[in-house]
Amino acid sequence: MTGANPEETPDRSASDSPLISRRALLRGMGAGATLLGSSWALDACGLKKSSGSSGKKITIGFVTPLTGPLAGFSVGDNYIVDTVRKSSAFSKGIKSGGKTYSVDIIVKDSQSDPNRASQVAKDLIATNKVDMIVVTSTPEVTNPVASVCESQGVPCVATVVPWESWYFGRGAKAGTTFNYTTMFFFGLKEFGETFIPMWDRVPGDKKVAEMFPNDADGSAFRNGWPPLLQPKGYTGVDAGAYADGTTDYTAMISKFKSEQCDIYLNGPLPPDFNVFWKQAAQQGYKPKLATVAKVLLFPADVVALGDLVINIATDAWWAPTMPYKSSIDGTTAQQLADSFTQSTGKQWMQSLGSTYSLFEVAQNAFTSASDPHDHKDVADKLRTMNYTGMCGPLNFGGGPVPGVGIMKPVGVQWKKGAGKFPYDLQIVDNSANPSVKVNGDLLPTNA
Amino acid sequence: MVWVNAIVQGLMLGGLFALFACGLSLLFGVVGVINLAHGDFAVLGAYVAVALLPSVHTNALWALLFVPPIFAVFGYGAQRTVLQRSLDTGPLTTLLVTFGLSVVIQNALLEGFSADSHSLSVGALATSAFHPAHGVVVPYLRLAILLTAVAVLGSVQLLLARTSVGRQIRAVADDPEAASVSGVSTRHITGIAAGIAFATVAVAGLAFGMYAQFAPTTGSTWLLYAFEAVIVGGLGSLWGTLAGGCVLGLAQTIGEQIAPTAGTLAVQLVFLAMLAVRPTGLFPARVAV
Repeated sequence: MTGANPEETPDRSASDSPLISRRALLRGMGAGATLLGSSWALDACGLKKSSGSSGKKITIGFVTPLTGPLAGFSVGDNYIVDTVRKSSAFSKGIKSGGKTYSVDIIVKDSQSDPNRASQVAKDLIATNKVDMIVVTSTPEVTNPVASVCESQGVPCVATVVPWESWYFGRGAKAGTTFNYTTMFFFGLKEFGETFIPMWDRVPGDKKVAEMFPNDADGSAFRNGWPPLLQPKGYTGVDAGAYADGTTDYTAMISKFKSEQCDIYLNGPLPPDFNVFWKQAAQQGYKPKLATVAKVLLFPADVVALGDLVINIATDAWWAPTMPYKSSIDGTTAQQLADSFTQSTGKQWMQSLGSTYSLFEVAQNAFTSASDPHDHKDVADKLRTMNYTGMCGPLNFGGGPVPGVGIMKPVGVQWKKGAGKFPYDLQIVDNSANPSVKVNGDLLPTNA
Repeated sequence: MVWVNAIVQGLMLGGLFALFACGLSLLFGVVGVINLAHGDFAVLGAYVAVALLPSVHTNALWALLFVPPIFAVFGYGAQRTVLQRSLDTGPLTTLLVTFGLSVVIQNALLEGFSADSHSLSVGALATSAFHPAHGVVVPYLRLAILLTAVAVLGSVQLLLARTSVGRQIRAVADDPEAASVSGVSTRHITGIAAGIAFATVAVAGLAFGMYAQFAPTTGSTWLLYAFEAVIVGGLGSLWGTLAGGCVLGLAQTIGEQIAPTAGTLAVQLVFLAMLAVRPTGLFPARVAV
């Protein structure tokens, strides 16, 4: 398992030749000319290593939904992997226990399918002998990968998943500790800390329209929101557990209208929100403030909905204006976003920061471990990690459960774009994270 | 009043289902192809509009002028090349070929347009509505889609029933050999039928793009509704397809009014009940269309 054992040398070099053809495949995945260049260099590197001493290479597997319904989350991921590979901390090798190890990052597409996610995780462990797997974007990707890693004893870091879905979603009871799997993101408490202060600033009847679907996140929200609402004097109006993919929301809209809900709260799949919001506009449901979760996080969904998105509020776990910088090379959040836009022509997105931090965390854990191939040691370092990087301060030992680092999101609203892109995300409420500057006014969604 | 509103919305939703099912009904009834790539072709139509409209803010109604003709030509070509060849080999081959096309289209769209979702802009039409009675809302866009469905299905029905080309199409559908003996160029005629079917698929794709949003993989979910509308309405009958669409739309909205989770379930139950009680559908074709 550890690869430090010299007896494993023939095994590793034998598995290196299929590796090369797989990399050729990876190149074909369309990461662009720059990625092509860097993976050529890595190929050369890999070839040299396979003939030399084994175990002088750290292999990191990265599982992300590059295709399928969740692909909106991963639009920037290839760019981030490319940036990380080129950073001197990774290209010159990671120092661990007094030795320098070259680093190989292998990207696998989960195709937004939980079965596929667990299969690629098994492949990474069995074929590529990875030393760590990092994984991102929704429970449908992070949970199957984390489960495989926990059972195989491979360190794993996840992000962009509410910690409740990641922890309880894998059958944990209060008090359960996972030995090899860790994550950083936030949970329902932080959603409340972000949304409720915004509601407080919009005077109304304190009734909250709740649109929670019949799926993992919907159930978590249905159970998790009421205890947050009551102490603040809000009443929830639950429209019921509708099915994902519903095309008609007449009944739900009638209910929200007759109950006169001034606040609108949800957690649907992005396409469903688009259909709902258009129908709400047609049928005259106009809440004073809409705070959405899981949708309108990324520019692509926003452009699809057009001007109807203006002044809809949501949460942001990362933004270019956050006062954070890379723990790898000091790149600021603003620089990361700018260079992303410059090289891809696309608008910045929140997942740039979280994906970047996955690799910061990996680099930190390997650097502080005495042997990067000692999975137990690396996992111990992950569970107790406390550092500040692209996503701000993260303390894996101080979260709600062991091995969970909590980020502090801010409240944001979509506004008409002033520059190159049609809509901009502006920070309108920093109650949950005062270190981030507000750069826009909170306005009612419907005056 | 909520019930009246649910029925009104259901009928209009049914229009979208029927419009979507029209091309499937036609291609199966006339050409004999069960098109598993039907939903993906519709999404492709919407993407053609995205690619050819000058900007995301251009009113997508313009796309109705050029996307259906492009698809008619494309459908004719596809029939003369891929579909006819697979038909000659056997019915199972067409299933495999169209399934393969579905995978190809989805992945080509992913490559070309990434997984970003799109929507077609129709300006104020997307959000405006009128209120014929208190508590009843008629959104203009939904009404327009229902009327389009009636118009498309009606004109295709008229074309088949009243024109010379329509007669030839029906003749080929009934008995290709006899038609060919009587001097009908069967391949050309099935090509025309496929062209018409594809043009309606394009209209449906555009309507769907205006109604909701779409991504490369959206099409396959909608295929099921199209199949169900065709079967509930009766195989081979275009007016039946319209009725089938409306029945499904009503089942969806009334089901939701009863319980929020029951919408999709109601659609499937109505479909199963129809298969059990009246497997030929509401309006089984007396003569194959």
